[in-house]
Amino acid sequence: MEKQQEFVLRTIEERGVKFVRLWFTDVSGTLKNVALAPAEVEGAFAEGLGVDGSSVEGLTRVYEADVLLHPDPTTFQVLPWRGQVDPTARMFCDITTPDGQAAATDPRYVLRRALAKAAEKGFTFYTHPEIEFYLFKDNNQENPVPVDEAGYFDNVPGGTAHDFRRNAVRHLEDLGISVEFSHHEAGPGQNEIDLRYADALTTADNIQTFRTVVKEAAIEQGVYATFMPKPLANHPGSGMHTHMSLFEGDSNAFYDASKPYQLSTIGRQFIAGILTHAHEITAVTNQFVNSYKRLWGGGEAPPFITWGHNNTSALVRVPMYKPGKEQSVRIEYRGLDAAANPYLAYALLLSAGMKGIDEGYELAPEAEGDIASLTATERRALGYRPLPENLHRALHYMEESELVAETLGEQVFNFFIRNKQAEWNAYGRQVTPWELDTNFRQL
Amino acid sequence: MGVGHELPPVVGMAAAPSLTNLARVGFLDLSGARELLVSNGFDSEWFTVAASADNALRWLSRLADSSRAFLDEVLTVPEHRAALIRVLGVSDGLAEFLVRKPSALDRVIPPESLPTEADYRDAFSGAESADDIRLCYREHLVTIASWDLSQQDASSIVHLVGAALADLAGAVLDAALQLAKDKVDAPANIKDNTVLTIVGMGKAGARELNYVSDVDVIFVCDARGIDSNDAVDVATKWARSIVATVSEPSLEPALWELDTNLRPEGAKGALVRTLESHVAYYERWAENWEFQAMLKARPMAGDTALGRDYLAALSDVVWSSSAREGFVESVQKMRERVTENIPADLRDVQIKLGPGGLRDVEFTVQLLQLVHGKDDETVRVRDTLTAITRLSEGGYIGRTEAHSFSRHYRELRVLEHRVQLLALRRTHLMPRDSELLRVIARASGLAETSEALLTRWNDIKRDVRSLHQRLFYRPLLSAVANLGEDTISLSSVQAEARLSASGFRDAAGALRHIAALTAGISRSASIQRNLLPVLLHWMSEGTDPDGGLAAFRTISDSLGDSPWYLRMLRDSVGAAQRLSRVLSVSRYAAILIERVPDAVAWLDDDENLRPRTRATLMEEFGAIDSRHDNVEDAAKAVRFARRRELLRVALAVVLDLIDIEQTGIALSDIATATIDAAIRLARRGIDGIEFAVIAMGRFGGQELGFSSDTDVVWVFRDTGAGDFAHQSAEKIVQSVTRLTEDMRFPLGLDAGLRPEGKNGPLVRSLEAYRAYYAQWSDIWETQALIRATPVAGDPALLAAFDEMADGVRYTTEISDEGIREIRRIKARVETERLPFGVDPSRHTKLGRGSLSDVEWLVQLLQLQHGPGNATVRSPSTLEALAAEIASGVVAEADGAALRDAWLLSSRIRSATTLFTGKGSDVVPLDRLALEGIARLLAYPAGRGADLENDYLRVTRQSRQVFERIFYPG
Repeated sequence: MEKQQEFVLRTIEERGVKFVRLWFTDVSGTLKNVALAPAEVEGAFAEGLGVDGSSVEGLTRVYEADVLLHPDPTTFQVLPWRGQVDPTARMFCDITTPDGQAAATDPRYVLRRALAKAAEKGFTFYTHPEIEFYLFKDNNQENPVPVDEAGYFDNVPGGTAHDFRRNAVRHLEDLGISVEFSHHEAGPGQNEIDLRYADALTTADNIQTFRTVVKEAAIEQGVYATFMPKPLANHPGSGMHTHMSLFEGDSNAFYDASKPYQLSTIGRQFIAGILTHAHEITAVTNQFVNSYKRLWGGGEAPPFITWGHNNTSALVRVPMYKPGKEQSVRIEYRGLDAAANPYLAYALLLSAGMKGIDEGYELAPEAEGDIASLTATERRALGYRPLPENLHRALHYMEESELVAETLGEQVFNFFIRNKQAEWNAYGRQVTPWELDTNFRQL
Repeated sequence: MGVGHELPPVVGMAAAPSLTNLARVGFLDLSGARELLVSNGFDSEWFTVAASADNALRWLSRLADSSRAFLDEVLTVPEHRAALIRVLGVSDGLAEFLVRKPSALDRVIPPESLPTEADYRDAFSGAESADDIRLCYREHLVTIASWDLSQQDASSIVHLVGAALADLAGAVLDAALQLAKDKVDAPANIKDNTVLTIVGMGKAGARELNYVSDVDVIFVCDARGIDSNDAVDVATKWARSIVATVSEPSLEPALWELDTNLRPEGAKGALVRTLESHVAYYERWAENWEFQAMLKARPMAGDTALGRDYLAALSDVVWSSSAREGFVESVQKMRERVTENIPADLRDVQIKLGPGGLRDVEFTVQLLQLVHGKDDETVRVRDTLTAITRLSEGGYIGRTEAHSFSRHYRELRVLEHRVQLLALRRTHLMPRDSELLRVIARASGLAETSEALLTRWNDIKRDVRSLHQRLFYRPLLSAVANLGEDTISLSSVQAEARLSASGFRDAAGALRHIAALTAGISRSASIQRNLLPVLLHWMSEGTDPDGGLAAFRTISDSLGDSPWYLRMLRDSVGAAQRLSRVLSVSRYAAILIERVPDAVAWLDDDENLRPRTRATLMEEFGAIDSRHDNVEDAAKAVRFARRRELLRVALAVVLDLIDIEQTGIALSDIATATIDAAIRLARRGIDGIEFAVIAMGRFGGQELGFSSDTDVVWVFRDTGAGDFAHQSAEKIVQSVTRLTEDMRFPLGLDAGLRPEGKNGPLVRSLEAYRAYYAQWSDIWETQALIRATPVAGDPALLAAFDEMADGVRYTTEISDEGIREIRRIKARVETERLPFGVDPSRHTKLGRGSLSDVEWLVQLLQLQHGPGNATVRSPSTLEALAAEIASGVVAEADGAALRDAWLLSSRIRSATTLFTGKGSDVVPLDRLALEGIARLLAYPAGRGADLENDYLRVTRQSRQVFERIFYPG
């Protein structure tokens, strides 16, 4: 590590960096930052940077204000979009209490802890998200107008989206984030960009960076980007389908040539773990009132707890195996949305899957065909349970979950539930345009 | 040395020796030996010098079979033959080598003295391959072992052997570097202008190497007028080649692990760095342990000028490291490494690790070097033995101690050398096999038999175990007192440095206490001088050493010259250790001991630390009444007795002699005896009424904590006082309250659970209670009666109250309306009684899933099921809960969740009071307090956050059960 720190200090000098932003994430998944002058960076490496944690949601108990930010030098990057005028760089931080213990409420630590637990059993967790988002002409929330009317894979010549994507992809690659594929999604103004496979901590950092880059790139084009799970009632929501695999050393633990779909027993147990606990972790993977409008709003969102081989209507999809590609045997969780806190969500997906392995869960039969087209009775007969229908139900399941409490730690668990219950309560107090439309004149 | 030294002449064919004779020589397999001796023509007397005559004979026979010519040359000279037999008798490893390479047999001839570093370098000059180097190394190893085994007293020369082994390793590295330079392909101007130094670390650096151990090194390079990247590149290739030469598989087996992990950034860092890069690293990034490692750094091969520069550049940063932040923590971690992480089944055979092992000596010596080397250059030496000498010369440790530890260290090292010689393996474990032990005994010269060796070794270990306090703490006293008996004299600055290094936060204050305790020529001062070093050591293991020492001084001041006190501390190790522990982990106990110093005497005997039974307490407290005419004096005596008994319970808890349930009973018994005694005093001169007190709440359940209120209901019955009866009863209540008042350790009498609560009369007659409960009673009053337990006063009245209470609490099943009312009251209490701003998940009494949730649930179920099921009618929460589980009212798993939460909440409450000295209802946020509480609850050091997480977990689970059953639907 220390060599990395030296590298950071040298780069700051060489590139004439004027500000260094220290990034960290609060329990809700919002990226926070503190700007440092270059001269302060060395001290921050050595002793950490004290900040008043009580001003950050969920970070500390209100009365225990001080926490220390410890920048992770391996995450140092010069931010591309600030140009050469005032070069600015960023690093992600780990958070500790003043006596040096990891802060229980640091989402990055929650994920680190889950990864360490899996590592004790010899596994490394890799993820690869496909992040969807919408581009609007401006940030007018009263009447959001998408930048174009294109559909899936449409090429819009000379469109805003085109320039925007080129800029965003360039920024991302400048930041050392490999982008796998980018295409136009199903809704008007909707985009998808895929991040390349990496270990889950790097991926989570990358997602946080990605959101910032996309918003900055949009501003450069004079448009507005949002990761809201369901911004338009009549168009598909924005998901964050995530491909996942476990590696033991250099070999893919999900691969077994002799098994159906080349999916190993470990892979099946991992899926079983995720499906068994899916309803408990939904409050985190889909953490907003609005998230459930995506889940239950039709389209490609998968509201039933099922798995299937190359079945895009299942919650967990096992992609088609391509011969010779044993390294890329993986599973895809399609429930996540683009506004989840990636650290907490990945920690829970991993823990649920690991639970399946530890307890040797049996995987239910796979779902075939379009699950959405089944009748409710058919689904019941087949044992396809639904995900929670709203945030309130999801919180209820979460509250009962030992798995979630253990993975998040008691303090994050408490805070999360309190915070989200408050959101649900506030939502319940609203009188919506829909209610006015349907009731006001009639009653 | 136990093995004979007279050398019999060579003889030809020997006559078959008698078995008796063979036994005398030291053979174990007598007839086998006779056969081999005869068939090879060996004389049995040759083998008297062998640690294992059988082994020596076996190997000698094999050599005779395979290489008679080489062997005969050695056998003709008696001295040479004896040397060979000594080597073969100890080391299977070297014997195997000699069988493989018989031309090296003449290497067993021991020289007058061991070769110098220069000799070794010359010896390797012709080496052209890794195998050449390895063979040459092993040949010289034979010579070193042979010389070592031929010495009269191995422990007196163990340092010479260690130095020779390090020099030999250095020569290997030099030869390997030369080989690397020849082999590695690079432009000549880069090769010529790159210099590499190999810095030895650890035992190699300190020239105290073992026969078989990892050799720790760091590579440093320098560029002479070329680009430093080019130099690093070529030097890295050289370094890799050196590692390969030493450690990679080849025809001739590898020598040892060349361990490069002590380099900056460890295994992840660059293998070779320039000098500037090293310096920058140590100035900026190095961790404390890395400085400790640098203590032993020594350029052992490669460019000598660069090596000198390296040492010169780093010396200052290393020696100022004890002033760095985090030094104390890193020292404590170091010490943990010394004592922990040893598999239990190997603990008794560890020569190196574990209590009384080599590491113990090395740890203490290095710590003293770091603490004092900052200001005194004379102690800046690398090897342990010289360091001991210098520390003694500098007056930092006593001469006698220095002498004895130096001897022990040498003897332990000899044992380690012999164990490694057996099979030439890197091991620090004493064998369990008694034959092997015998070989080691004889080869080390430390004993003749395996039993004697173990006895000797155990003596050494015992002595070394007390080393730390004798070397580290004892000299502290010289800073504040003239010890007269020794030459040590620390300055107060030096002494404070040591105290800070062992965890005292206010070192100057601690030193003042030490000075006060040891000043003067009194008997107590002289005993304290002997005791304090070890007490300080024990206190430094507590969470609050400063508080412990301050309290110890107060106690010692007040007990002064009491002969029993000093005698007990001096003679009873257990009592002194317990006192140090109690004082440095529990403020509550410390405050009480300061007030009841005689209690120190109990620490010697567990019987005295068992809580007294209620009967004993009642009798003793009650007797105070008859001994004192004056009520105030008597009350004072009662209050003192109460404090004394509180202390007894506190000590029992801190020393882990009783659990939380026993604690509750003991504290409730003390409250009962106190109130009973106070009633006796208060009733003086008051006639015509019966008077009694009913325990309520946690007191009724016999579950009091150290800072609980004592809930009661007062009751009287007119037996002739008539109109004055009520007035008399009120007078008694007022007197009892006043007489039992203790500002520092409040009894907290609280009659709030009486009918009508604070609005009702403070005391009523039995008839008034009866009438009230018959007509008016609210459901919460019935609920309160569940835990009503008659405890003190007139027996007839107590029995009558109990009977009346039975008529109220368990006669009819609670109505639905009653249940709803209880739920409503509980719901209101949850929001109203919790203090503003307190996080409910951390409140141990009224918080989420803590005491009150569990108790309300248990009581609701008692009201529902009590009338039909007598087993659940207990005032004790845990008993009632157990009965509810047993009769199926509560599911097993739910019951377990409730019990766990109740127990942990109670234990945290108890530990909070014990640690801080005062009660608190909240799991503390302060990390230091959290740590102190966690340690009292047997969590390992540094795991306060675990306690926090555990508490939040069990109370969350208990709250889930509570909500499901208490607020269904």
